[in-house]
Amino acid sequence: MSEPTPTSAETTGNPAVERPHTGHGFGRVLVAVYGLLALAATGRSILQITEYFDRAPVPFLLSAVAALIYLVATIGLARGDRASVRLATIALTVELVGVLAVGTWSILRPEAFPEKTVWSHFGAGYGYVPLVLPLVGLWWIRRTARASAASDAEVARSAD
Amino acid sequence: MLQPLTVVLLVSSGVLGLLAAHHLVRGRLVDDPLIIVGAAIELALLVQLVVGLTKASAIGDGAERATFIAYLFTVLLVIPATIVIAVKEKTQWAMAVVLGGALVVAILVARLQQVWSLNV
Repeated sequence: MSEPTPTSAETTGNPAVERPHTGHGFGRVLVAVYGLLALAATGRSILQITEYFDRAPVPFLLSAVAALIYLVATIGLARGDRASVRLATIALTVELVGVLAVGTWSILRPEAFPEKTVWSHFGAGYGYVPLVLPLVGLWWIRRTARASAASDAEVARSAD
Repeated sequence: MLQPLTVVLLVSSGVLGLLAAHHLVRGRLVDDPLIIVGAAIELALLVQLVVGLTKASAIGDGAERATFIAYLFTVLLVIPATIVIAVKEKTQWAMAVVLGGALVVAILVARLQQVWSLNV
């Protein structure tokens, strides 16, 4: 992501503001999308579990797990401190493994998934967003971590 | 459900999307016109909530009715959340969030209409 001109100019004098944060810049978009998915998955799982749980318990429980993971990822990315980012990294990794495992499972055994979940068929029902999002999120966390390590080094150098 | 309202909502989220795209290109941040359009959409969504709730009993299937009502409430959260995030962000990414929010409102309104027309 290219640095937007107005802010980069105005923050160069202040390393504290400049320090990369997983919830700023492009991160706002990620937080918004994760928040939306958390909302959608929570809503869907509450509805599925209360209205027709016996129809397909496994996919419905998976929806609930996905909802929880999206919630953790949203909060972790938005907070952006070291522990939160670590938590978000774990959530995103579990999400990626989950969408790959459930996606494969739902294609090999479609009868186990009579109802759609966020992760079945690699998230096809949600425009493959559930598959792409953890990859983008992990890339973003890695990028932010590197950038903040670089800015810390810069601060240390200028302090000498 | 109430066709003129759905049309108004789709058009106004289109306007918000275009405004956000314009601001994105021009490097502008959240300003009054954006807030006003957002508020107008939110108002129309509240009208939709009231109309939807009074008409919801027309949907026979209980689960579908629950889905319909859940969408009526969920769509209310999108614009306020979008604006809060966008106000905090001082780069063009703010407008990307608003653009996405407008798209989500349009999708949810269309989904509401779909649930309604398939079940009444």
